[in-house]
Amino acid sequence: MNKNYFEVRNVDFCVGGKTKVKNVSFSIKNEGDVVCLLGPSGIGKTTILRTIAGLEKINNGSISINDKVISSKKNHLEPESRNISLAFQENSLFPHYNVEKNILIGTEKKNKKRKKINPKEVIKLLNLKKILHKYPHQISAGEAQRSSLARSLVSNPDLLLLDEPLSNVDQSFKEEIQVNLKKLLSKFKITTIIVTHDSYEAFYLGGKCGIILNGQLKQFDDPYNVYHFPNSVDVVNFLNRGILIPAKVTGENSLESKDLGLIKGNFIKHYPNGSDVQLLLQPEDLEHDDQSNLKLEVVDRKFRGTNFIYTLKTVSNLLIPVFVHSHHIHQHEVDEKFGIKRPINIDHIVCF
Amino acid sequence: MFFNKFNIWFLSSFLVSLLVIIPILTVSISFFEETSQYFDILKKTFLFEYIFNSISLLIGVLVLTFFLGTGSAYIVSFYKFPGANFFKWALILSFAIPPYIYAYSLFAFFENYGTAFTILKSLFGDGNYNKHIPKFDGMFGLILSISFSLFAYVYILARSSFVYQSQSLIDLGKNMGFSKFKCFYSIILPAARPAIVAGLSLVAMETLAEFGAVDFFSVNTLTTGIYDAWISFDDLAFANRVSFFLLIFIFVLFLTENLSRKKAKYHLDVKGGFKQKERIKLKGTKSFAAFSFCFVLFFLSFLFPLCQMLYWTLKFPENFMDINALDLFLNTIYLVLLSSLVLITFALISNYGNRVSKNKTLALLSTFSISGYAIPGVILAVAFITFIAWFDENIIQYLGFNSIKKIFIGSILGLVLVYFVRFYSLAFNGIKSGYEKINIAVDESAYLLGYSKRKTFMKIHIPYLRNSLLFVVILISLEIVRELPVTLILRPFNFETFATTAYISASEDLLEAAAVPSLFLIIMAATFIMITSKYILRVGDE
Repeated sequence: MNKNYFEVRNVDFCVGGKTKVKNVSFSIKNEGDVVCLLGPSGIGKTTILRTIAGLEKINNGSISINDKVISSKKNHLEPESRNISLAFQENSLFPHYNVEKNILIGTEKKNKKRKKINPKEVIKLLNLKKILHKYPHQISAGEAQRSSLARSLVSNPDLLLLDEPLSNVDQSFKEEIQVNLKKLLSKFKITTIIVTHDSYEAFYLGGKCGIILNGQLKQFDDPYNVYHFPNSVDVVNFLNRGILIPAKVTGENSLESKDLGLIKGNFIKHYPNGSDVQLLLQPEDLEHDDQSNLKLEVVDRKFRGTNFIYTLKTVSNLLIPVFVHSHHIHQHEVDEKFGIKRPINIDHIVCF
Repeated sequence: MFFNKFNIWFLSSFLVSLLVIIPILTVSISFFEETSQYFDILKKTFLFEYIFNSISLLIGVLVLTFFLGTGSAYIVSFYKFPGANFFKWALILSFAIPPYIYAYSLFAFFENYGTAFTILKSLFGDGNYNKHIPKFDGMFGLILSISFSLFAYVYILARSSFVYQSQSLIDLGKNMGFSKFKCFYSIILPAARPAIVAGLSLVAMETLAEFGAVDFFSVNTLTTGIYDAWISFDDLAFANRVSFFLLIFIFVLFLTENLSRKKAKYHLDVKGGFKQKERIKLKGTKSFAAFSFCFVLFFLSFLFPLCQMLYWTLKFPENFMDINALDLFLNTIYLVLLSSLVLITFALISNYGNRVSKNKTLALLSTFSISGYAIPGVILAVAFITFIAWFDENIIQYLGFNSIKKIFIGSILGLVLVYFVRFYSLAFNGIKSGYEKINIAVDESAYLLGYSKRKTFMKIHIPYLRNSLLFVVILISLEIVRELPVTLILRPFNFETFATTAYISASEDLLEAAAVPSLFLIIMAATFIMITSKYILRVGDE
């Protein structure tokens, strides 16, 4: 039997007597793996972290780490005995200590089983050197968040929980911190669960991603699969990956759409011939072609740096997003006609 | 759920809150007990007078403290003039003068052949000045004494509200073409309303609880009625019944104050779009008028009673020899230290218990338990005696043990216990406001870093709360130094403080002799105020 390093089994996550996320099961196979939980605000992601940390209790199911049950209806290991660290989204630094002392407090927690983490390295990689002697009230929210992250890292936990760890960090700085954080987690083999609502952050940092929607863990899979093979309409809508258009299955590798005509590609799931389906059409699935006879009306154009996103209206009044490289030779104005290359080829066809 | 939260912190916190609530329950329950015939006599004779006088006093004091407190707060917050920064904190020195000492000064200055007479005589020679010198006694003298002593409550809260009003609000008024006066009453004053109402509610509670000055001017109010019922008629149940009326009165005020504070959160949101206000520099007569108003107020509220007491102390130095100042000082300090220790310890436990238990029952109980401050000392003392007497007769003696009355009544233990109930809200709220600045995530981070609840309390909370604790200790000290009725009723035989010595001398018509202890009391209280002025002036801005 394959043993998992960390496991959540059939747990209802509740706060203040109210169930936030029901019947959740997922696992982390190896020590050092990173998992990201994605979901809209207020859905219960933080409740999941708080429960794993032992700050909330559970009434059903179990949570275990290294084969030891830390939470169940009968068992509740207190937070201070878990060796799990949680970096809160809000400022949780000790107000009467400066940043350095706050970080070093993390080292007071001894974990003999694990290799020591050098605080200096963490401080350097999270760019905290300049603020070490400042007090929490003298630093920005982003700096407080990085300091709190550093404190959690140096405590060298068996499991690190990060609640929106970079939500207050400046955009210009975020990528650098993400790279350094990934480096640190990997170097010290720190098993981590990260909660975020930034899908790109989740896809970059996480080896696995969980999507939490409508009080359920909807999908738990590799980031690539979550992105390309969403398992429900809810996940599609949450990731804002494209739109669903009605189509009819016409063969093993083809569909027919009233608006776009023949569409070819590989189905990720088998559908019988003649079935009516909802086809997921993503902005990168369609190609622009001025010579094409399939012309759609431009209703909006958004400049997104490397590309434009055109919103096109079909004969059935469906609004379809299409990516066009921003270096494309010419631009189309609103109300103009926009050609789509035919036949349409989609690498993997996702239908519901 | 209730028992899930049951732990040592919850239990301690629960017991502390329960202990503080006992006197309130005692008074409420005693209302239904049989009283002697004096209550019927009182109903037919003085009860109406008690209520009428209490209401008249309340209205008079509220009107005067509103004008003095709001006016001075407006001037020092909005304008720059010579001495503005000095008056900003000097005006709170009036807290050092308890209403009863103000009453002694006021009476002594204007009485026949009093200080005013002496001044006039030394300036203009012999003459019949007595008939031209106004007499400030009775209800009018009482209103003046209490108002000058308590206006600082309104001043502090109104000022903190004015100081933190955004310049944008005032600019908006100017932009709409408002005159300065219209700007004041239609923008500045309404925005500060919750703070002013909160200040006035504190004044109202203190006024209804006032004993020393009311007794000195022989005005019959509900508070003196309670004292008389107990001392003159020896009828505790009767005293409790009068207390109950006063308690209802105060409860209504307490609710008003609480509601007002809640509203304050909505009205005074200074976090977004706050623009620091520039004080307007006054020139010429306007500057002189502002200075004069503040100086006269400072003089009347602090310098005048201080000088009167100093004058008598110097004029009759033999009184200085008659009292053992060192003993009185040590007694006062002893009470201050013991009470502070007990209050801080239990208020800390209760606050921490509330924080870790997150129990609604406990939170409700704590809310009630801080109402002790709103209950006059006389009622608390009487309720305490009633409870001990009942407990002794029905429990202790029933179980065959020796009477415990002597342990609790007329002892330091009893005195400290009632101080505890009376000033618990000061300690509880002071520590609570410190705790509110510590995000709960800080505690949780500590647990996750392996800290136990006790270690979190000792290593994280206590060091962070150090300043709040110091502030609370000084506030408690200030209150205990000035406190009169509880000390008077419950002190051990031959145990005196500056306050009781001053009261006893004054009640024996030896006002000159009351000057020395009063002067010491003022100096002690003023020292405490000066130490804490920077904290006091920060009230409301956190």
